[in-house]
Amino acid sequence: MGVGREVSISLDGVRDKNIMQLRKLNIALFPVRYNDNYYADALASGEYTKLAYYSDICVGAIACRLEKKDGGAVRVYIMTLGVLAPYRGLGIGTKLLNHVLDLCSKPNISEVYLHVQTNNDEAINFYKKFGFEITETIQNYYTNITPPDCYVLTKQIAPSSTKK
Amino acid sequence: MGASLPAKEANLFKLIVKSYETKQYKKGLKAADAILKKFPDHGETLSMKGLTLNCMDRKSEAYELVRQGLKNDLKSHVCWHVYGLLYRSDREYREAIKCYRNALKIDPDNIEILRDLSLLQAQMRDLSGFVETRQQLLTLKPNHRMNWIGFAVAHDLNSNASKAFEILEAYEGTLEDDHPPENERCEHGEMLLYKISLLEKSGLFERALEELHKKEPKIVDKLAYKEQEVSLLVKLGHLEEGEKLYRILLSMNPDNYRYYEGLQKCLGLYSDNGHYSLDEIEGLDALYKSLRQQYKWSSAVKRIPLDFLQGEKFKEAADNYIRPLLTKGVPSLFSDLSPLYHHPGKADILEQLILELEHSIRTAGQYPGSSEKEPPSTLMWILFLLAQHYDKRGQHEIALSKIDEAIEHTPTVIDLYSVKSRILKHSGDLAAAAAFSDEARCMDLADRYINSECVKRMLQADQVALAEKTAVLFTKDGDQHNNLHDMQCMWYELASGESYFRQGDLGRALKKFLAVEKHYADITEDQFDFHSYCLRKMTLRTYVEMLAFQDRLHSHIYFHKAAAGAIRCYIKLFDSPPKSAAEEDEDMSKLLPSQKKKMRQKQRKAEARAKKEAEEKNEESSTSGVSKSGKRHVKPVDPDPRGEKLLQIQDPLSEAAKYLKLLQKSSPDSLETHLLAFELYMRKQKILLAFQAVKQLLRLDAEHPDSHRCLIKFFHKVGSMNAPSMDSEKLIWSVLEAERPTISQLHEKSLLEANNSFLENHKDSLMHRAAFAEMLYTLDPNKKSEAVKLIEDSTNDLAPRNGAIWPVKEWELKDCVAVHKLLGSVLDEQDAASRWKTRCAEYFPYSTYFEGRHSSASPNSALNQKCKNAENGSPNHSVGAQNANSITSNGNLEAFSKLSIQQS
Repeated sequence: MGVGREVSISLDGVRDKNIMQLRKLNIALFPVRYNDNYYADALASGEYTKLAYYSDICVGAIACRLEKKDGGAVRVYIMTLGVLAPYRGLGIGTKLLNHVLDLCSKPNISEVYLHVQTNNDEAINFYKKFGFEITETIQNYYTNITPPDCYVLTKQIAPSSTKK
Repeated sequence: MGASLPAKEANLFKLIVKSYETKQYKKGLKAADAILKKFPDHGETLSMKGLTLNCMDRKSEAYELVRQGLKNDLKSHVCWHVYGLLYRSDREYREAIKCYRNALKIDPDNIEILRDLSLLQAQMRDLSGFVETRQQLLTLKPNHRMNWIGFAVAHDLNSNASKAFEILEAYEGTLEDDHPPENERCEHGEMLLYKISLLEKSGLFERALEELHKKEPKIVDKLAYKEQEVSLLVKLGHLEEGEKLYRILLSMNPDNYRYYEGLQKCLGLYSDNGHYSLDEIEGLDALYKSLRQQYKWSSAVKRIPLDFLQGEKFKEAADNYIRPLLTKGVPSLFSDLSPLYHHPGKADILEQLILELEHSIRTAGQYPGSSEKEPPSTLMWILFLLAQHYDKRGQHEIALSKIDEAIEHTPTVIDLYSVKSRILKHSGDLAAAAAFSDEARCMDLADRYINSECVKRMLQADQVALAEKTAVLFTKDGDQHNNLHDMQCMWYELASGESYFRQGDLGRALKKFLAVEKHYADITEDQFDFHSYCLRKMTLRTYVEMLAFQDRLHSHIYFHKAAAGAIRCYIKLFDSPPKSAAEEDEDMSKLLPSQKKKMRQKQRKAEARAKKEAEEKNEESSTSGVSKSGKRHVKPVDPDPRGEKLLQIQDPLSEAAKYLKLLQKSSPDSLETHLLAFELYMRKQKILLAFQAVKQLLRLDAEHPDSHRCLIKFFHKVGSMNAPSMDSEKLIWSVLEAERPTISQLHEKSLLEANNSFLENHKDSLMHRAAFAEMLYTLDPNKKSEAVKLIEDSTNDLAPRNGAIWPVKEWELKDCVAVHKLLGSVLDEQDAASRWKTRCAEYFPYSTYFEGRHSSASPNSALNQKCKNAENGSPNHSVGAQNANSITSNGNLEAFSKLSIQQS
């Protein structure tokens, strides 16, 4: 919407050579400083962590952690997903999330989940569009921001492992 | 060869020669020893053995044997030839030429020696000798193509293009009609083009054009054909045809600026200085409008009109030019526009224009008068452009605020940090500039360019160790010093030499400067192989061009900087020899004598240790290097890593004079060359040479403060010397007496008067006032307070400029630093110097030198913090970043951000 020109949006992987781009994004987007584990997980997740480029500018990222469960199943945890403020509303977040959801169609992946602050309605609505549901509420999840509570949003993937 | 030997030994001798040619040195050595067993005094064998050993890295033995051989057989051309080859391998070309000449006296028609000689003559530019040798070769072997070509090129180089042409014509006459065969068509075509260029060189344009048309089917390089044709057409005044041809060339490459220039010339719409009448501008405007229709994809056709258009039309064209580039995001846009800042008035128009764009994008999200929404990045690129604009105009504070806003907008664009670093450099904070450059580097560790840029900034901030560590990230084997040297990475060596010089480490500084000088010697050396190669491959036009380039090689800016740097080191070395080097580093001078002694001892021990290690390594590598098939592939360890040996030379001034001569020859129009000459010759007490330097300075820029300084200093010094006693001194005196009246500045004036009238002419310029004050003090030390007052009374006015939105002060940072040093060290007025510092800190708040309040030298500044935690790479300290749960843009659902907390 709005922008009448075609600008290509592309995704690129995160490597140790360009990880600073992800750091820059996180500093600008989130009030939390992520530690080295976060970046190690992101690098280890391979295809599940991506930078989004608006023409040649890095403007957003999705970062995931792969959690191995017993029996070889894998849960995907979306650590962060964000787009720089001026570049929102251009479908970049959708593209990033769809990229990860497409990857999740592999048979051994059981679910994708994430945490979101309880008052972040727009984010919640955004994820609901993609089939995420609130599965849990955790009190006092955050320490320095209010409200401190968060929801766990989950999207079940593998039909074989449904227990219902 | 080997004639005096019996048959068996003669065969052995042939084997030595063959082994040498096929590089089987061990075999050759064996054969030589076999002969020498029976005939220990056989000259030619001794010589050949020497030559063989030379290739096995046994230099001193080689020279001994070759000389011994020659002594035993002075009448042998082989011995002389070998001696020449030995010299050639050590680049002693003059000596080698002498040896070849002696060999030729004995065997005048020896083709091999003649050919070797001709190569050396080309290399040494012994052009008449080159012609002679080439003629001999042609006479001896006229059926050899290369000999014809070589003879022609020799004449061309010897400034006889028409003779060269005749020779090539004669050569063509010897060819069959069906020449060239398919596999030689390119080479033949090149020869023809070279021949035609010779006609052009001799001014025979008509004939050249005729020849060109006649040979068209045989010329393979069609583009070169057209370019040659159009050049001749224009020289003959056939402008209409020229125009047609230029249009054809443009359709082949619509981004070649020379074609546009040529087209303009054909249409009578060209001026060298870029000034045009109104009519001409109109004509040009119409021309480029029509060209733009034709060549839609050309960027040159859009950019060129910005050079000649003025006023409103310029603004409109610039607007049309800039808009799409901002939308697209072209980081080089500013450097593309920056030549326009030298055109009067255009910078103001650009400023106004970009500000209008900024305003419109901010308020409406689109360009003025446009209905199309701009992408979000456009605002960031506008801010980026504005930052560079204000930086160029010296308005660093606004520039910084613009770049900070751009970074806030899109913190992931690396160019933003590079530009921020550059602005900080310009505003006088080199440490902060290095820190931001490092931040840019961290954002793409795979980019060599930003890595190099960062290294340079670190060197500018005198962080040499850090710079070396950073540079090493992109060199192959980790041993970066050698590696950067082997790659002839001159910007690095210059920047690090300059840094060492600033830090008073003259040894290392000299080492770096001389390394650059050596690269230029190597480049000169490198042409050697081309003398034979190009003749064989027929790339004659390029070859002749390359030789011309080599002839002006030393005028290149890097050489100039290196030579000037080396000369400065030597002068400083002369002024304060290393023994009494209390001032070598400031820390030392602050120490107690006993501490100094201890430190010296420590240093000496460490040096001895390092030296020993280096030598050991060196020995190891050289022995192991030789044992492997006699080839040297192990790099020798640098025996003098800190350049201490360079400091121990007896006569630094004569050493400096060597480099000065190169500068005088290759950069005669640079003020710096003659300033250095003046400083050097005054120290050497070479009065007339110093006087020559003064005259050169007056010729180049008589009103320059430094020219004035040298003039006054010179005559002041001469005036204070004792009356001449020796004849040679009297002669010098009489020359000066005759010359002094010819200098208009001193005409019927005393030095004090000359100094006064200099001030009178340049009252409003800080640097001229400073020069006056310094000279006043030199001429009359009692007038020191007057000199200081004059400097302090200078006013920093607003720079004259129309339409500027922000005022700019006139003074430049580097000038103010120079004045501060003048006050502090030459005039030795510490109070005045510190007053000056306080004053300049106001003008230059980002200057670390003056400890401005915003600079990283000021403990409470943001940049200070930045430099302190440069390593953790978190610049965007401002808490303006989006809150986690706020969705700002248009309430759109896809826009969001979310939180997560790391679990351990």
